[in-house]
Amino acid sequence: MSRLSILGLTKAYGRTRVVDNIALTLEEGEFVSLLGPSGCGKTTTLRMIAGFVEPTEGQISLDGEIISAPGSVLPPERRTMSMIFQSYAVWPNMTVAENVAFGLKLRKLPSAETKRRVGEILEVVQMSHLAERYPSELSGGQQQRVALARAIVVKPAVLLLDEPLSNLDANLREEMRFEIRRLHDEFRITTVYVTHDQAEAMATSDRIAVMNAGRIEQVDAPHLLYTRPRTRFVAGFIGRTNLLQAQVENGEIGFGGISVGVGQVAGAEAATTRDILVSVRPQSIGLHRQRPVGEHPILAGVVAQRTFLGETWDYVVRSEEAGGLRLRATAPPSQIHEVGEKVWLEFDPRQMAMVE
Amino acid sequence: MTGITKRTVLGATAAITAAAILPARRAAAQTYTAHEQQLYDAAKAEGEVTWYTGQLQAQPSEAVGHAFTDRFPGVRCNVVRTTSQVAFQRLSQDYRASVAQCDVFSSTDYSHFTFLKREGRLMEYRPVNAAGMVKAAREAADPDGYFQVTYLALYLLARRSDNLSEADAPKSWRELTDPKWRNKMAVGHPGFSGAIGNWAIMMRKAYGEPFFREFARNNPQVGRSAGDPVTTLNAGERMLGVAVPSAATLFSASRGNPLTLIYPTDGTLMVAAPSGAIKSAPKPNAAKLFMEFMTSPAYSEATRGFYAESLRPEVRPPEGSRPLDELTLISPTPEEVENGIPEVRELWRDIFGV
Amino acid sequence: MSTALGKSVVATPPRRVSLARRIGRIEPVMLLWILLIGALLFLVAFPLGKLFLVSFETRGTGAFTLSNYVTAYGRARYIEAVVNSLTLGLASATIAVVLAVPMAWAVSRTDMPGKGLTWTVVLGAFILPPYLGAVGWILLAGPNSGFINVFWRWLTGSESPFFNVYSFEGLALVIALNAFPLVFIFVKSALDLVSSEMEDAANILGAGTWTAMRKVSLPLVWPAIMAGFIIVFLETIALFGTPAIIGIPARINVVTTQLWQFFEYPVRVEVAAAYAMPLLLVTAGMIATQKLLLSRKGYVSQTGKGGERRPIKLGAWRWVMFAWCAMVGMIAVAMPLFVLLQASFAKAWGRGLSLDNLTFANYYLLIFEHDMAMTSIWNTIWFSATAATIAVLLALMVAYIVNRRLVPFGEVLGFLALAPFVIPGIVMAIGFYAAYAAPPLSLYGTAALIILAFAARFLPIAYANSSSAIRAVHPEMEEAARILGSGRLHAIRMITAPLVKKSLLGGWLIVFIVASRELSAAIFLVGPRTRTMSVLLYDLSEAGNFEVLAAFGGLLLVVTLIFVGIGMKLVGRDFMLRRG
Repeated sequence: MSRLSILGLTKAYGRTRVVDNIALTLEEGEFVSLLGPSGCGKTTTLRMIAGFVEPTEGQISLDGEIISAPGSVLPPERRTMSMIFQSYAVWPNMTVAENVAFGLKLRKLPSAETKRRVGEILEVVQMSHLAERYPSELSGGQQQRVALARAIVVKPAVLLLDEPLSNLDANLREEMRFEIRRLHDEFRITTVYVTHDQAEAMATSDRIAVMNAGRIEQVDAPHLLYTRPRTRFVAGFIGRTNLLQAQVENGEIGFGGISVGVGQVAGAEAATTRDILVSVRPQSIGLHRQRPVGEHPILAGVVAQRTFLGETWDYVVRSEEAGGLRLRATAPPSQIHEVGEKVWLEFDPRQMAMVE
Repeated sequence: MTGITKRTVLGATAAITAAAILPARRAAAQTYTAHEQQLYDAAKAEGEVTWYTGQLQAQPSEAVGHAFTDRFPGVRCNVVRTTSQVAFQRLSQDYRASVAQCDVFSSTDYSHFTFLKREGRLMEYRPVNAAGMVKAAREAADPDGYFQVTYLALYLLARRSDNLSEADAPKSWRELTDPKWRNKMAVGHPGFSGAIGNWAIMMRKAYGEPFFREFARNNPQVGRSAGDPVTTLNAGERMLGVAVPSAATLFSASRGNPLTLIYPTDGTLMVAAPSGAIKSAPKPNAAKLFMEFMTSPAYSEATRGFYAESLRPEVRPPEGSRPLDELTLISPTPEEVENGIPEVRELWRDIFGV
Repeated sequence: MSTALGKSVVATPPRRVSLARRIGRIEPVMLLWILLIGALLFLVAFPLGKLFLVSFETRGTGAFTLSNYVTAYGRARYIEAVVNSLTLGLASATIAVVLAVPMAWAVSRTDMPGKGLTWTVVLGAFILPPYLGAVGWILLAGPNSGFINVFWRWLTGSESPFFNVYSFEGLALVIALNAFPLVFIFVKSALDLVSSEMEDAANILGAGTWTAMRKVSLPLVWPAIMAGFIIVFLETIALFGTPAIIGIPARINVVTTQLWQFFEYPVRVEVAAAYAMPLLLVTAGMIATQKLLLSRKGYVSQTGKGGERRPIKLGAWRWVMFAWCAMVGMIAVAMPLFVLLQASFAKAWGRGLSLDNLTFANYYLLIFEHDMAMTSIWNTIWFSATAATIAVLLALMVAYIVNRRLVPFGEVLGFLALAPFVIPGIVMAIGFYAAYAAPPLSLYGTAALIILAFAARFLPIAYANSSSAIRAVHPEMEEAARILGSGRLHAIRMITAPLVKKSLLGGWLIVFIVASRELSAAIFLVGPRTRTMSVLLYDLSEAGNFEVLAAFGGLLLVVTLIFVGIGMKLVGRDFMLRRG
């Protein structure tokens, strides 16, 4: 049985449906991120899972028992979950150790046991030496570790994280993101992680649910989201892409004068209409000074614009051959083309995906 | 400052300490009449008596409360001292709210008692001690025994002896309308003081409404209680106190203030101020006992130190007070008081604006 | 691995959840909400509603009538009192603004020396009860005997007094001298939020310090100045003590002293209610005007922190500003306090300072011989403490529910809790009298009536305080506790309560202190055994014995200062003067 199951979940404020009929299932020990731009409903979904918000429609069950349905919401304190908040919510009136021990005391553990587990978890998050400090004496990253320890120490059925890293600076954010994954690998707690940062979601999650305007657009493993985006939104939100108008005709997908076999493009076999959208990642487009040889489709064009991004060059190539089509392609820093230079673009159909 | 000698300062100190210490010393050997003893036993169970009073000033009122408890240990006296009108106002509020809190009510306004008696809100109780009081007090008491006179107040003129000589000073109420007293006088307010209400009735009777208009034109400083002008005079704010109580004035003079009484030729106002037990008194026995106390010599002795006229032949009149029979006394009748007070109050407010 | 796309799944209707479980899942907060609504209706809505109804009732029978209004407005004198009150309110509010705005500007924006002293002055004026200040000013500026006028005559040989306290100007000034801290607190808090960059921007365009202040800083805090003005206005028209003490000798009748006359025998609460109604209209009108005037322009954002703030260098002018603050301190606090203390230790205060005039008898009398004095001190302390506790607890719960959006229409609760702010205290007291003095509750003369009236009257202070305290605690603090298994009430007790404790204590003390000096509401509600210090002071002022009166005022100040001291120790030096 799946641990956490969400079905037809909707939250409406007046006429606005901030969460609109979503479904999601988490297996025991799974780490799933809710990823989306701000206002997409991901935090509301998380707060419904936590029991802070009552759903308008649909239901949430934990281990098969309904814990949220309209008119009946099991209070948060009876859900055996724990949560990490955007503001950390580390209580300033308690020391680090007292913060961490709070949940254990509520579970009426013997004090020796409480002490032992607090000690252990502080060891895990490398905060043992600061156990008697007050939160005001800690840095943001240290507070975050306290929040983590406090949430994990109770061995929750589900761990919920609400943008936990958004208040940290860039370096610390990267460090903490691996820390969170490390703790997950160690404790295997079923986790729902809300973020708007795709790198964070990619680094931590088993699966990512991409949300937009209250709906889940796609749920998949991180690499599949990148290589096989199913919707225009996912394709644009996860990494950058070239979205191309294409036509399906006689088992071939054609755009800009070139064509590839339907079977080669992910998802294209399911196409039901003639006009479709194809996502072509800039990284999947080869950029050549000379016309390359091979079976991959090729287009000729002229560099219209270029931007140096440090790790890559970002070129915009305009192809007269394809009716003035503008395509974005990336190249390593050493591969320099001047604006106006003629180049050949090489496409790999296996890295293309049809999107809705 | 002027007029202070060592003797007066000592005298003043003595008066204050006497008020505090003497009753305590007396408490040692108390003798009670059989009737008092009987009431006392019953009152002890009740433990306290609440006395609403506008009759005496705050300090003597408190002293009376102490004297009562000293004479009857175990029965506490809650002294609720305000001006007479306010005391009556509180009593009215109590009644309207159907709350009985007051046991004994004392005011300088006779009409309060005729009204309360008519409304059936006074206890019919003639204190045994009342028979031994002075004639003036006995005559002014209620013939049916609903209330007694516990204070004979004299209201007259007072001057600052240091800047207003006896020769220059006015001799009568009538002279107060003379423009030469402009900005020199101070007076209480009939809306706050029953005595001033009585005085206003007598003035209206003698000289008509124009008296007030002319008097107001002289811009007296209007206080609230009849005693207010004494303070105003002491401060040097004004030099002539109008309708001031003799007791408060004499007491203040004894403390070293340069005040002298003027007995007006057109009559010293005498106000017989009654006290009565309330029918719905929460502590009825303590109320009766308090009435016995107020008609007994112990009460007159307690108030004598504050220059109140003695109500008992066995207690001497206070220092500096003229014997009553030498004076021209004027007093309104109870009927005049009852109808007149609301009228003069409105008249006053229309003329003075407050 | 199951992949579920929201769109592709057909939502099945959720399983029915059993009724028992539904009830089990209702939060106790709904019950609390019902309780709070009840409490607020009882404390705020019902007394006012009753007041309104009573104004149309015939005395005794309760039949509908308009005659109360005819009586209440049937005499020129009564209408004149209304006009006097309004004029007085405007005058006092204007004086208060003139006094306070330069002080607020100097303390907030400039390098004026002696800011600590200025704070002390403001605090001193704030805790000096108005009627005590009035007595102080009678001793100072009685036309013939006041120290100032005696000195003036000695100096100039003039016949007429320098300043007569028994006059309209005297009354307005004395009230303003007590009320200006309200304006100061509002304006200073607002100025604290104006970034120096605002002034820099004006300077760079060629405006000097004074022009920048006049054209930029002050206009930005215009809403605060206006709010202060309105509060002083409302306080003034609701004030009873000062007009009774100064107004009667000055022959100025105002609404409050007129209301008191309606409470003379026979008590005409119906007429008083009718007479009080326009006060509510005036108040509503003031608030509406304020909204209208402020609706268009932009003003300093009350939440913004933007920009650095540094004091303006005034040069020699800083001593001018200091002199202004010192002058206000002298006339508002030092001089009245000095004469009061002098009188309290004097045998006869008119005799001035001399050794043979010195006595402790006044204090001795009050402490050892005056039953009512000690009773009233005790009454004051426990009434105020209970009222402050009720107000703070109620306000805390309301603020919590409103800020956490726990219930629909929570704003109604907030509105009710703030409503007494715009109701003159004396009107509130008459409402309480009309609603609860008579049967069935028969609270007249009981401590409960005064405590409830105080709690209702000062609920807005407690609410503003609690609300900002609650807002300062991030809701996630509590949610973090709840998700770990703590119920809402447990979370409040363990997390929220300790975090707001300090600022609530500050709020409690402020309510306690203002309640302990409250006269306007108390005077209508006290019974013989429930007299408070303020009422006893008023009664003493009728007895005309200023020495004892001053000594009792001294005792009242000692009591207040003890609590102010506790507050400073526990909550911080400026706890009374923060804008909560």
